[in-house]
Amino acid sequence: MSGAAPLPVLRLPPDLARAEALGWLTGTIAGPVLRRPLGRLWWLAVGLSLAGCLLLAVSVAWLFLRGTGIWGLNSSNVWGFAVANYVWWIGIGNAGTLISCLLLLTRQHWRASINRYAETMTLVAAAIAGLFPILHLGRPWLFYWLVPYPNVMDLWPQWRSALVWDLFAIAGYLTFSLLFWYTGLIPDLASLRDRARSRFGRLAYGLFALGWRGAARHWQAHDLFYRAMAALGIPLVISVHSVVGLDFANAIAPGWNESIFPPYFVVGAMYSGFAMVVTLAVPIRRFLGLEALITLRHFDAIGKILVLGSLVMAATYLTEWFTAWYGGATADRQLVAYRLTGGGAAVYWAMLVCNVALAQILWWPRARRSPWTVFAIAGGINIGMWLERVLIVTDSLSRSHLPSQWRDFVPTFWDWALLAGSLSLFAFVMLVLLRFLPAVSMHESRTLLPPAMPPGGRAPAGAVP
Amino acid sequence: MANVFPPGADHLLRGVLILGVGLIAAGIVTIGMLVRSPYATGQGRVVPQPVPFSHLHHVGDVGLDCRYCHGSVETEATAGLPDTATCMTCHSQLFTDAAALAPVRQSLALDRPLRWVRVNDLPDHVYFDHSMHVRNGVGCTTCHGPVGEMALTRQAAPLTMQWCLACHRDPAPHLRPPDAVFAPVAVPSVPPGQAARLMRHYGIRTAGLTDCTVCHR
Amino acid sequence: MSGGTSSGAGGAAARMDRRTVLKLAGGAALLPAVACSPPREQIVPYVDMPEGLVPGRPRHYATALPLTGYGAPVVVESHQGRPTKVEGNARHPASGGATDAFAQAAVLSLYDPDRARAPVWRGAPGGAGEIRSWDGFLGALEGRRAAWDSTGGAGLRLLTTPVCSPTLAAQIAALLRRYPAARWDVWEPVNDDNALQGAIQAFGRPLQVLPHLAAARCVLALDADPLGPGPQQVALARDFAAARPGGKQPRDGQATARLYAVEAAMSLTGAAADHRLALHPADIPAFAAALAAELGAVPGAGMDAARGAAPQGAHARRFLAAVAEDLRAAGPAALALAGRTQPPEVHALAHCINDRLGAIGRTLSLVEPIRGGPALVAPSIAALAADLAAGQVSDLVILGGNPAYDAPADLRLAAHLPAVPFSIRLSPWADETAMLCRWHLPEHHPLETWSDAQSVDGRIGLVQPLIRPLFDSRSAHELLAALAGDPAATGHDILRAHWRERQGGGPSAFEDWWIAALRDGVLPGMAAIPVRPPAAVPPPAVAQPGTGDRAAPGFALLFRPDPALWDGRFAGNAWLQELPEPFSKLTWGNALQLAPGDAAALALDEGDLARVEADGAVLELPVVHAPGQAGGVAVVHLGHGRRHAGPVGTGRGVDAYPLRRSASPWRRDGVRLSAAGGRQLLARTQSHFRQHGRDIVREIDLAALARMPAGTDSLPASLYPEPPLPPGPQAWGMVIDQSACIGCNACVTACQAENNIPVVGPEEVALGRTMHWLRIDTYLAPPDGAAGGDGAAGGDRPLFQPVPCMQCEKAPCEPVCPVAASVHTQAGLNAQVYNRCVGTRDCQSTCPYQVRRFNFRDYAAGQAYANLGDPLYRAQRNPNVSVRPRGVMEKCTYCVQRISAAGREAEAAGRPLRDGAVVTACQAACPTGAIAFGDLRDPAAEVVRRKALPHNYALLGDLGTRPRTTYLARLRHSNPVLAADRTGGAEREGEG
Repeated sequence: MSGAAPLPVLRLPPDLARAEALGWLTGTIAGPVLRRPLGRLWWLAVGLSLAGCLLLAVSVAWLFLRGTGIWGLNSSNVWGFAVANYVWWIGIGNAGTLISCLLLLTRQHWRASINRYAETMTLVAAAIAGLFPILHLGRPWLFYWLVPYPNVMDLWPQWRSALVWDLFAIAGYLTFSLLFWYTGLIPDLASLRDRARSRFGRLAYGLFALGWRGAARHWQAHDLFYRAMAALGIPLVISVHSVVGLDFANAIAPGWNESIFPPYFVVGAMYSGFAMVVTLAVPIRRFLGLEALITLRHFDAIGKILVLGSLVMAATYLTEWFTAWYGGATADRQLVAYRLTGGGAAVYWAMLVCNVALAQILWWPRARRSPWTVFAIAGGINIGMWLERVLIVTDSLSRSHLPSQWRDFVPTFWDWALLAGSLSLFAFVMLVLLRFLPAVSMHESRTLLPPAMPPGGRAPAGAVP
Repeated sequence: MANVFPPGADHLLRGVLILGVGLIAAGIVTIGMLVRSPYATGQGRVVPQPVPFSHLHHVGDVGLDCRYCHGSVETEATAGLPDTATCMTCHSQLFTDAAALAPVRQSLALDRPLRWVRVNDLPDHVYFDHSMHVRNGVGCTTCHGPVGEMALTRQAAPLTMQWCLACHRDPAPHLRPPDAVFAPVAVPSVPPGQAARLMRHYGIRTAGLTDCTVCHR
Repeated sequence: MSGGTSSGAGGAAARMDRRTVLKLAGGAALLPAVACSPPREQIVPYVDMPEGLVPGRPRHYATALPLTGYGAPVVVESHQGRPTKVEGNARHPASGGATDAFAQAAVLSLYDPDRARAPVWRGAPGGAGEIRSWDGFLGALEGRRAAWDSTGGAGLRLLTTPVCSPTLAAQIAALLRRYPAARWDVWEPVNDDNALQGAIQAFGRPLQVLPHLAAARCVLALDADPLGPGPQQVALARDFAAARPGGKQPRDGQATARLYAVEAAMSLTGAAADHRLALHPADIPAFAAALAAELGAVPGAGMDAARGAAPQGAHARRFLAAVAEDLRAAGPAALALAGRTQPPEVHALAHCINDRLGAIGRTLSLVEPIRGGPALVAPSIAALAADLAAGQVSDLVILGGNPAYDAPADLRLAAHLPAVPFSIRLSPWADETAMLCRWHLPEHHPLETWSDAQSVDGRIGLVQPLIRPLFDSRSAHELLAALAGDPAATGHDILRAHWRERQGGGPSAFEDWWIAALRDGVLPGMAAIPVRPPAAVPPPAVAQPGTGDRAAPGFALLFRPDPALWDGRFAGNAWLQELPEPFSKLTWGNALQLAPGDAAALALDEGDLARVEADGAVLELPVVHAPGQAGGVAVVHLGHGRRHAGPVGTGRGVDAYPLRRSASPWRRDGVRLSAAGGRQLLARTQSHFRQHGRDIVREIDLAALARMPAGTDSLPASLYPEPPLPPGPQAWGMVIDQSACIGCNACVTACQAENNIPVVGPEEVALGRTMHWLRIDTYLAPPDGAAGGDGAAGGDRPLFQPVPCMQCEKAPCEPVCPVAASVHTQAGLNAQVYNRCVGTRDCQSTCPYQVRRFNFRDYAAGQAYANLGDPLYRAQRNPNVSVRPRGVMEKCTYCVQRISAAGREAEAAGRPLRDGAVVTACQAACPTGAIAFGDLRDPAAEVVRRKALPHNYALLGDLGTRPRTTYLARLRHSNPVLAADRTGGAEREGEG
């Protein structure tokens, strides 16, 4: 920890009585949600992301029309961007849950002002991730054959396949994040219902508020359910990316067949997830005017987590190299050599810089507490993690056991189009959700208020220890 | 401010939710039943033919043996369909001017083959061998139904993979003694004891009978 | 295809004309489409079923496929009148049941929609031309025949390839008797003139060499390629395999032959050699001379000159000494072969050596030229060209070949052809020559023809049609008859008349003879009769090394027939276009092959465009590196850059014929090479040729083998009790003998024909998406004999490794498939269920051998390349193998359809499956018997015997996949004297 003075989680305006504080808090959060008109900037962003979604639609249509041959795949690199993007998105889809559940159960109060949009991000990312395994199929319209259901062929899924586990992991995880996110949202929907001016607004919010009246019974049930879900969430989030890791680890391609993969993937997921949380934090607090709630304290905390993450990543890379050397298998050793010195070495080194070197800047408190610095670094990490996924997929396949089959993977326009499209879809859905739903949990952020705040008295500096 | 929701809204909402879940469940069940229904499998379907050929008459009444027309059933994958000449062996004498038989006479006259429409149609990725089945005591009517009683030939079995597998997993109950294999009508299934004997008689090994490559290549 | 569809096919096939073939093809075309809810399928029975034809049962007919004047004896499988697959004719000694890639691919060209369909008349040669009827042509012919009758045929010229059909030769002879002033000229771009002239030098008359490799104990190939592509390949490769270490041979080195190769460019023979010396072509005559002198084959005066002619370089000299010693030791069991690309002197010297060693009659026999027509083709075509230039040719009939494309450039044949007033071109395709002739007449495909053919050993076989002509075509016999004034005669009648005359005897006797001949595909006891010539006379002068042309600056450009397209005649065949060149693995085009050293000196990387200049004529084509090629040499394959070869063949690669001169057809000296700037994407199926220190292709010295204990290749340790064989009715397994594999690619094409494997086209190959289920990997062995350090070092020898699916017992692909499309059968097959596959491709990503192939595009139908989606092609498909749609993984199945058929046949006959009852397509095609397949439970099975051999090993066995396909290490019968060099070289294996 840095020796600097503890930062406030909440920057309350001075001379704020507790009575007003609650109102002020809810107002700050609900304000941008209920504000009309929607604003030129927002429309601009939505327009841009929609254009990107169009690209996605086109490339998917072309994909179904012409088949996976439109990508840079070949008989050796049978997997490409589609799988890499899937792993990357599902990784991003981890952080929200980790923040919400892990930090909730470990009583990290500061999480209260970032968990909501992190969960939103999780939900959207996981949903997008779920698209890729289907798009990746040679005959996507038959994806339901992975689902166990009694059919006239008397055939069932092949239970030893990690891809089947994947299906369940993702489906389960999606359902969970949706429920968890929605449960947390209910009280806020209620308060929006009460604050909404238009009748439609009241109807819409009210419908989804499921008649929440903030009665003690409601709060009790809600709290119980919410914590129970949180407890369920942690093993789930671990399992999801472990299974993704197994997709690779159960193949005997050099560089894949490693027992370290499941934890390696989980850590990577957490790492990229947190990076994405900060990446989003900066614009959100800026454009939704939430500087008071998303404070330097958060950047500081997440900065520390990123440092930790980078160290663990470094450790896993070292482990990979060590086991390749220690295991003594020629194919493994030569794969590591190829990664470090071969044709694609530049990308590999770029990946190392982004995932390991960059985050070391955050040892420095002033860097941690400068949002734009953290933003830049986190962006680098996001790129680095995506590169890592791509390299994991392509390196092993293009430098496998028989040199006669060594071929390089060269992405085509459609590979890039699908990636860009998925990013746009993410942006679009996030824009809509953050615009019409509170980006910060109102009811949870109340817990950030100083416990003992004399009526009319002043808030002590540095609210929560 | 005015209440947007009536007092009973909560109950209404619950009702709607339950209904929704119910509908989804019902939909799934319906689809499940649909794919098994004759509508999907074609079981019992009669298709229009160029000539309204009646097995009931030729086999049931006249008493022709299956193999008289389906000559290669014992030796080949395909049972074989009679050439026009075979039809005309009789019909050059009988019903020589029956309107129904005009296409047959034409076929011979113009040397243009008859175009029958397939009744029992397996997907093209399935390789079925008639000779193997009749040789191992699977009767004609086991799959084709009581052909001898069909005025118009219909698809007797669902011909789903499930249906094929049921027999490939446990052939015994479906076997017949050699003399009953070509019986044109349904014969009662043999008692378990005899079934076991038949398995030995035909030397059927169930191991490998459900290998995918048995039917798919 | 489900049984009923076949019976439908049967009905249609009974009256096979073009329309029904198309209908048929349409039916076959539905294969992939009708997987679900089909339009009601029809059954079309016969109107009157032909006797003995059983719907759904393939029939086999013996016939022969002509190649450069020899007939390849084959047996063709036919489904309801559709020829679908070519096999070798086991009853014919020249085939023994094996085939080459050309024969395998013949069945595809039969259904080529680009074939000529009707006679075409061209008012202006080169122009579009008008479709005419045969009667129209015959009418025009009548007028000309009247003229010939008056002039005795003055101005009438007949140009053919060397004729393999005795009947045709007789017809031509008769025509010439009728028109004495006419002349018969012959041209064949890949000809044996040098060999025949060498024989003339040595024996005073043109004699042809028939090697008997099986009898040889020491073989020296002087730029000869007996194992290379060509009509002789199958026969000689079989012969050679019998003499090699491996499956059938006793373990002691004595009984096995040792093969030396001295050559400029890497050949299949050089790759198979135990010791190989790369020499500049100009040095090879000197080497031969020195060797002859060493062996005392050159008497008195010539001796010292020849001795002085020894090649430079310590290694080359040591090599020469070793070869001489070995040949001498082998005595009558020795054999020196000179290649068609070597000047006559070298052939004469080879004759002297063989004569001196007493090998003639033992390891080779000399026979009169087997093929009909003038023996020497170069003078023949030159004479014709002269007549054309002088305008003395009024009527020209061109049968076969493609002279306008492949005649020596300096004869300017193409320039003169259009001037001929009445020129007739008979050929199945409208090729370059057809474009320049007045009349183009469509010719039968060999599989539609009645004829006869002599094989490389001089045996005669009958050629019978497998299918009614698809188009309005005629055979050469019928055209000849028309020229002789009998247009009505059918090929069948002509053939029978010819043989009835030859056979004599009563009608019934002839009928029996005829039936037997058709059944066997070979006439009894008609091999070429060896002649015993006088002692060989050495050639007058022997080229000195480093003298003459060698001194000329620049590179020596060598012309070689293409291993897949031969002289260009197969350019329209997509299977052959996509067949990887054995060494560079290049498909769909040719390249300039340079020794890595030279390429580095010229700064030409692989794929860079090189500019090849020889006084005036210029080629631009991409470079590939050719390890083991002599320095100062550039090699280019003929047969590419066709201008009229249909959508598949036109404009692929670069035409090298323009640089070819009649004076020296195989070599152009003083060629300037430079970088043309720019690169070209090479469509190759393999681009890494080093083993990187991995245990992939094992090579053992024969001497070391004797010391090896049996069963050294033990299974990796396992935590579970492992039964030797899992339970099941059979346990199928395969052993591939890498000593026997010569990399001829026959198995690859056979697999493609048998299993309906689609062609993907050059773009997809370049992307790395070839569909071949069976591939032949080429790896480079450590440098050999480079201890001398001179440029003549043997270089890196290629090692061939055919890689089908390994059918692992612990298959990694099976547990990863989410839908159980990759499953294990009781008999140990690793089956792939196409219709269940959803295309996750996880199986391929985890397959350490990467033998699975994914349909990235709908290669078989919707997105087929060029005209390959044409319905006509679909008539070729094997009805017993599913055609795979897009998005599905496919792979080698050990030809499960053949296993199933054999199993059902055995059960019908009430007997167990005997060893050899199941023969996979690759195994059947292989001329050297490199592939053994069978039931591992059958103690008598060949495959079991091979698995027990000490040098049997599993590829990547340490991964624990327990492959059912294993390999026999490549055995090298190296000469201890030269072995020292090899070890010297081995230390310098680098990472490529």
